[in-house]
Amino acid sequence: MHDEANIRRTSLTARGEPKQWLFGGALVVALSLIAGLLVIVVVEGAATFWPRPLELAALRDGTRVLGVPMATEVYSPTAEQRVAIEGLRARGELGGFAQDSAGRALRRLYRVANRELGHDPFRWVPLHEVESVERPREALFVERRSWGPWIGIPEALLEVDRVRIAEGEPLPPAEGMVDGVGVRYVADGGGGEGAYVRTREVARGAEATIAALRAALPALAARRAEIERINKVEIGRVNAAQEWWRLRVREMEIRLAEASEPAGRLGWPAWSGVVVAAVVAGVGWVRLRGVPGGGQRAGRRLGAWACGLVALLAGMGAVLERPWGARAITAEEVAGAREEAGAAQGALQAEFDALRARVARLEAEDARVRVVVRDVTTGRFAPVRQSEPEEPLAASQVVRAVQPNVLGLGGRLGVYGSRWWEFVAGEPREVNTEGGVFPVIVGTVLMTLLLAVAVVPLGVIAALYLREYARQGAVTSAVRIAINNLAGVPSIVYGVFGLGFFCYTVGGYIDSGPEHAASRGAWWAVAVVTGVVAFAGVALVAMSRPVPGTLPGSRHRWSRRLAALAWLGAAIGVAGLLVATPYFRGMYRANLPNPTFGGRGLLWASLTLALMTLPVVIVATEEAIAAVPRSAREGSYGCGASKWQTIRRIVLPGAMPGVLTGTILAMTRGAGEVAPLMLVGVLKSVSQLPVDLQAPFLHLDRSFMHLGFHIFDLGFQSPDSDAARPLVWTTTLLLVVVVVVLNVAAISMRGRLRARLRAGAF
Amino acid sequence: MSVIEAIRAGRTFEPAVHPQIALEPFVLQASGFSLWYGKAQALHGVSMHVPRGKVTALIGPSGCGKSTFLRSVNRLNDLIDGVRVEGRLVLSGQDLYAPDVDVIDLRKRMGMVFQKPNPFPMSIFENVVYPLRVDGENRRRMLEEACERSLRGAALWDEVKDRLRQSALGLSGGQQQRLCIARAIVADPEVLLLDEPCSALDPIATLRIEELIHEISQRYTVLIVTHNMQQAARLSDFTAFMYLGRLVEFGPTAEIFQRPRLPETEQYVTGRFG
Repeated sequence: MHDEANIRRTSLTARGEPKQWLFGGALVVALSLIAGLLVIVVVEGAATFWPRPLELAALRDGTRVLGVPMATEVYSPTAEQRVAIEGLRARGELGGFAQDSAGRALRRLYRVANRELGHDPFRWVPLHEVESVERPREALFVERRSWGPWIGIPEALLEVDRVRIAEGEPLPPAEGMVDGVGVRYVADGGGGEGAYVRTREVARGAEATIAALRAALPALAARRAEIERINKVEIGRVNAAQEWWRLRVREMEIRLAEASEPAGRLGWPAWSGVVVAAVVAGVGWVRLRGVPGGGQRAGRRLGAWACGLVALLAGMGAVLERPWGARAITAEEVAGAREEAGAAQGALQAEFDALRARVARLEAEDARVRVVVRDVTTGRFAPVRQSEPEEPLAASQVVRAVQPNVLGLGGRLGVYGSRWWEFVAGEPREVNTEGGVFPVIVGTVLMTLLLAVAVVPLGVIAALYLREYARQGAVTSAVRIAINNLAGVPSIVYGVFGLGFFCYTVGGYIDSGPEHAASRGAWWAVAVVTGVVAFAGVALVAMSRPVPGTLPGSRHRWSRRLAALAWLGAAIGVAGLLVATPYFRGMYRANLPNPTFGGRGLLWASLTLALMTLPVVIVATEEAIAAVPRSAREGSYGCGASKWQTIRRIVLPGAMPGVLTGTILAMTRGAGEVAPLMLVGVLKSVSQLPVDLQAPFLHLDRSFMHLGFHIFDLGFQSPDSDAARPLVWTTTLLLVVVVVVLNVAAISMRGRLRARLRAGAF
Repeated sequence: MSVIEAIRAGRTFEPAVHPQIALEPFVLQASGFSLWYGKAQALHGVSMHVPRGKVTALIGPSGCGKSTFLRSVNRLNDLIDGVRVEGRLVLSGQDLYAPDVDVIDLRKRMGMVFQKPNPFPMSIFENVVYPLRVDGENRRRMLEEACERSLRGAALWDEVKDRLRQSALGLSGGQQQRLCIARAIVADPEVLLLDEPCSALDPIATLRIEELIHEISQRYTVLIVTHNMQQAARLSDFTAFMYLGRLVEFGPTAEIFQRPRLPETEQYVTGRFG
């Protein structure tokens, strides 16, 4: 009944074809989205710095607009505009550029910049209003240190000096020519009799001005760099020294105030007793411990532990209660220190003033050379500052003067490269919308590396305990579930926790010591109890181990539970001892109420993110540890290795690729995180990098900048977000690059490890 | 099949131990040694002497407890939760399961080679000297001498002497197993425990390992578990036949293979049962 073809052919459904198309299609969609994201970021990010031509549009009403054409689009004209367009079209005056191929009206967005003039730096121009467009050779795109770019036609380069004409000398003519250079003298109102401002016109005309400006720029840049160096390095050093002296005196004053409180140290005789006890217990510990590896009885071992406990407590007492630490500071010493500091401060102040004077001199020198660049719409030139519209722009304000309409490909590439270099290696300017992101890159990379340094040991230790030491059971399962859930907690929650716990609690403790210190007696009582509880924990653990070859009975199980309780108690005790210690008064109290570690900073941000990414590392490490073959462990034990030796030499090296996988994931997640960082350490802009040449070189207490936050800040928090939008793409590209670089480093490390581990896999 | 039936019925019986055994000085002595994995009993009162300086083979069908017995000797079974033992296992006068025994120290007195070659993911040199390293030996000269001695002992020196720093995982299966043997003998163990050392190797590699075992048996006491009757016959001085966790017959290899006391042993060694 069936025809031949139907019998032979398996139906498509049976072979799973439709599903294959569906699922394959879904995969293709997902992949294209990812690829599209990368392509957009790369294309947009890379295009930002490409120098675009400047277009001069002459409008029919006589105005002229000079700007960078950003976009051209079809729009729906209003009735009036429609009439105007139809009229022009009828007269044949409508330019080809004003309509698209279908005859629809176009408008164009120009970036006209020149913010001082008080208009929007971007302007839409309906193209039917434009009579003609051209790209004038002399149009100049001036990137300035402040107020964003200026677009205009260069006119002249001036040298402005203050001169004094001595009495009796002939007064100069108000305007004249000296050696072919136009010179103008204007009486200097504030300078008194005989003071003039002399303006020499070094260059006139667009080409000559640009050439003169180009020639002047390197020297100006060098001077600018010198000013910045003095401001940052030299004045920074003087400031740091002044601060050091201030803190030193303050610290002594605090100690003097404390000296009135009852002295809190043991006398020499009692202290000597404590030292003797420590030494005796220490000797007992060493003797009782016996030879390592030799068989030993439980009682002997417990005795050794008890001796160790006594030695530890007595040793702590001997250090904390050392009699020479109790020496009070005298008022004379403080006065002496104050005097010394006063002298030093005076010298430093003189140095500071000298440096400031030098900066002022350099800046005055800087302001001599002026460049006149005229806006074509208003006819005004770029002012030296907004409040002085009659004074032309100082040439030292110019970062780069680009003549985009005459640039060849090589010239464009040069400008492109130099802009990229400025972006990657420079400091941000103009509330981050211009200049570079060097401090941002440094902050991101440092934070990510510190995060890895913090999270890897912690995660590996936790995973080792869970997989190698803990008895597998309900408790470990619950802990695993909890860890996995931690990975799903919203990151902002970690931020809040980091702010509350790390910044305020731990940081505040580091700064100012415990809030309510216990009395010495109470503290030592708790210390002894904690020690005994910990000792009981050790003893109970020893008791919970059955004799080899026998099964654990209820005695062992109860010992184990009690041991866990004892450990918990000891941990609480240690925490309490830290929280209420009378021996710690804070490391940075002289600086209070300004926080040092008690505020937001790099360390706390790294630790917060480390906590956030901990589950990733734990899970990856645990899996890697579980994947180390049983045969390798047995081989190691068979060779007489102890558990720790086996873990260190066999398990950990074998698990290393997995650990690195976890590290990569943690770093990737941490590097891109923004929300928690906003709470615990990232700032919009910082004056000092977290690394510099001042000891201790790595300043964990400082705030830092971060690429993720920088993107948010550029795109949504800057005053001129239209102009900053291209930078959002570029910064995003950079963030992607940073993450990729960190990952590639880690992946290549993993690759090498794997190659070593699997050299002979066949 | 009287003995087999007795075992299957769970009745006790006296294993057939040949009198020649008693004449040998022994290094390891099991008396009434039983072992449970949780509730399952794997060894039932095994009593046997392992003669000093000889090769003793443990044979028997799968699951008869020969590997368990071997792993009890260096207490590798400690690694498994819920293992319980009864009876005594004495090595040179020391009860292996006494509470004050340092198991690490104990394992250092034995070398073990496993069924599957298990070189560590490190260099050939580090693999061989691993037992010395974990024992705290770090003197370069000592380690190098021990490594060469041990590799020569394992007939591997000529093949690897130029690539001691390369990964041990790059060696062939047979070389890896010889490396494991070198590792097992580097610390001069009192007893060498071999757990089916050839079962994962091809015939040529097996032959070389057998030659090697024959050579090192001149110097060490060897306890070898094997599935291969010919191997047991070729290599060992004494053979113990085990079944379902019990010792069935123990005697000089020649006698076990040619004149066994029990018909069950004969049937097993001739391949008619097992």
